[in-house]
Amino acid sequence: MEQQAGIWQKINKTLGSLKLTLFVFLTLAVFSIIGTLLPQGMTEQDLHERFGPGLGHWIESVGFHDVYRTGWFRFLLLLLCVNLVVCSLQRLPKTLKLIRHEEGDINPDKLLKLSTHVELTTRLPWEETRSRLTRVLSDGFASPKVSLSSDTYTAYAIRGKWSPLMVYVVHSSVLIVLAGALFGSIFGFKGFMQISEGASSDEVILSSGHQQITLPFKVRCDDFDVSFYDTGAPKEFRSDLTVLTNDQPVHRQTIRVNDPMSYEGITFYQSSYGNTLKLAELELSDKAAGISQKMTLRFREAGSIPGTQDRVQLVQYQPDFSRFGPAIGVVLQKHGQQESSGSWILVNMPDFHGNRIENYHVKVLRTEVSQYTGIQVKKDPGVWLVYAGFTAMLIGIGLAYYTSQRKIWVWAAPKGSAQRVVIAGRANKNSLAFEAEFTQLCERFMNDLK
Amino acid sequence: MNSSLLLSVTTFAYFGSTALYLSGVVFRLKSVLTIGSLVALATLIIHTVGIGLRWKESYDLGYGHAPLSNLYESLVFAAWAIMLLYLIMEYRTRQRTLGVFPALFAFLAMAYASFSTSVDAKIQPLLPALKSNWLIAHVITCFLGYAAFAVACGISIVYLIKKTNEAGDKPGAMMAMMPEARQLEELNYQLILFGFLWLSLGIITGSVWANSAWGTYWSWDPKETWSLITWLVYAAVLHARTMQGWRGKRAAWLSLVGFGCVLFTYFGVNFLLSGLHSYATQ
Repeated sequence: MEQQAGIWQKINKTLGSLKLTLFVFLTLAVFSIIGTLLPQGMTEQDLHERFGPGLGHWIESVGFHDVYRTGWFRFLLLLLCVNLVVCSLQRLPKTLKLIRHEEGDINPDKLLKLSTHVELTTRLPWEETRSRLTRVLSDGFASPKVSLSSDTYTAYAIRGKWSPLMVYVVHSSVLIVLAGALFGSIFGFKGFMQISEGASSDEVILSSGHQQITLPFKVRCDDFDVSFYDTGAPKEFRSDLTVLTNDQPVHRQTIRVNDPMSYEGITFYQSSYGNTLKLAELELSDKAAGISQKMTLRFREAGSIPGTQDRVQLVQYQPDFSRFGPAIGVVLQKHGQQESSGSWILVNMPDFHGNRIENYHVKVLRTEVSQYTGIQVKKDPGVWLVYAGFTAMLIGIGLAYYTSQRKIWVWAAPKGSAQRVVIAGRANKNSLAFEAEFTQLCERFMNDLK
Repeated sequence: MNSSLLLSVTTFAYFGSTALYLSGVVFRLKSVLTIGSLVALATLIIHTVGIGLRWKESYDLGYGHAPLSNLYESLVFAAWAIMLLYLIMEYRTRQRTLGVFPALFAFLAMAYASFSTSVDAKIQPLLPALKSNWLIAHVITCFLGYAAFAVACGISIVYLIKKTNEAGDKPGAMMAMMPEARQLEELNYQLILFGFLWLSLGIITGSVWANSAWGTYWSWDPKETWSLITWLVYAAVLHARTMQGWRGKRAAWLSLVGFGCVLFTYFGVNFLLSGLHSYATQ
């Protein structure tokens, strides 16, 4: 049993130790460096192409291609939290004692052991000495607690009493930020929407994986606009959005980069833009059968080729297909066949021999293109916790920088015809600045006790 | 008179100030150090006017933004912040001997901004991503942090030289003028804590800005990550101080490593890694 208690004590000590803190800080730094040097989010194939099968496989198994999501990294963050909590629990009682403690028994031997102390004698009368000591201490430092017993005078004053607690404020702020991040990642989502001008959508493609979620309302893009400076650099991206519930407009807002829209806890950010197909007019000809038909199709809608029972659909659009200009992905479903077939049809090269599917040669006569806006969609219920943590962190570090706990003790007693005075002080940090402050205070004492 | 003239005067004047501080220390002449300080102060004033004028010029061109939007402007601001912090420290500690490194860093930043062909000094219009009031808060806080770390780095170098000198057979007379090792250590700590506060503010303002512009307060972008690495290293420095055996020389070395991270966050990420902060390379 005793040995077990010993082990527990050891574990407790290690988990709360500063060595562990430094270790975690520096290993987190090293892992982060790996994450910035190695492109993150590479697929298995990319890895094998770039690093060869051996190294690529190794990187993948260790998880360096996605460092910040690996178990390693999460384990280190967890270790940091445990270290913070254990170390704070170990030290807090001592700190609280230091704050409450008022040094009941002040005697000259103890005071002279402190590194900052001064001893002096004065010929002023005993009563005058006492009142001057109290006055200088309260004017020059802080109002003291004075106690008088048979022929000894003691005074104790403290400034920046709560300063040692600031470290704990900073430590808890780190925990709050991490808790907020965790909360947000569990109960929130992040994704992307692509809406053509005039169209509406309620589907969000999540950035993690290829899942989709459906919003409880639809978002319509009424207008999208890019403007440029004279230099050609982009000046502004703007989307006019309308929120629709049951196809009724309920909210209208224009979003720009740096100026998002929030609706029911979900925020929409202007993120990208591009061109997409609205409709196209095709000419499909089958020379052998003597067919040549024209038809107009909307993007992604299917239609029958006039005079036949074959159906075609425009499924994909690329503004620039391998530098051959715009191309439309067309799918043909022949009557009576199980499988459909498709091909990329180049818009600007009507005679290109590859512009055919099965027995049809396909020519694009006309296209109408519309702009789409790319919108980043986010719901993060943990962000307020993160912000609260940020605020606490700044207050904590700020006060830790600007304040320190300083204590001053004064002891005096008559000695023969004169009075003996001992002054001593201690600060929890920044001892040089405190020494200067102490020296200045002692000069005042000496001047006043002349 | 225009801002580029004032800023080139500034560049040369910081070189002069560096030379004066250095000769003051080498030849142990207090009067030369005083002249070095005065030159530094006068240069800082010209520098301030130059930045203000550039701000006005951007309005005259119809762009109207604070001069904090690209690599050139950030370098100019970094030099300004370093000298401002150093001169305040000099005034408060009455120590002129530590001016060599801050003045040198300020000169190098200005020289790099002015003479490098990869740094464009033209006033450019603001990209959509940067059109936010957060820009000023984010850049100023980050660079105050960097400036404090730069001054701390200079002090760490002096500290290490002094320690090595003291350990040798004949302590160099040059170091006699420098403050005591204990005071250097204390100053170093104060500056790092100050820089840590501003770096935290810089990361936090950047994070809040990113959240309001892109919807995510942290995306592991290389710049973000490197600022976190810097933060972690300085956090380690602050914690190491309270540990036996990690004070003094080790802490000074760690502070140099920290400043190395600052430099990488500032330059390395821009040129070697790509990410959200790509506008900072122009």
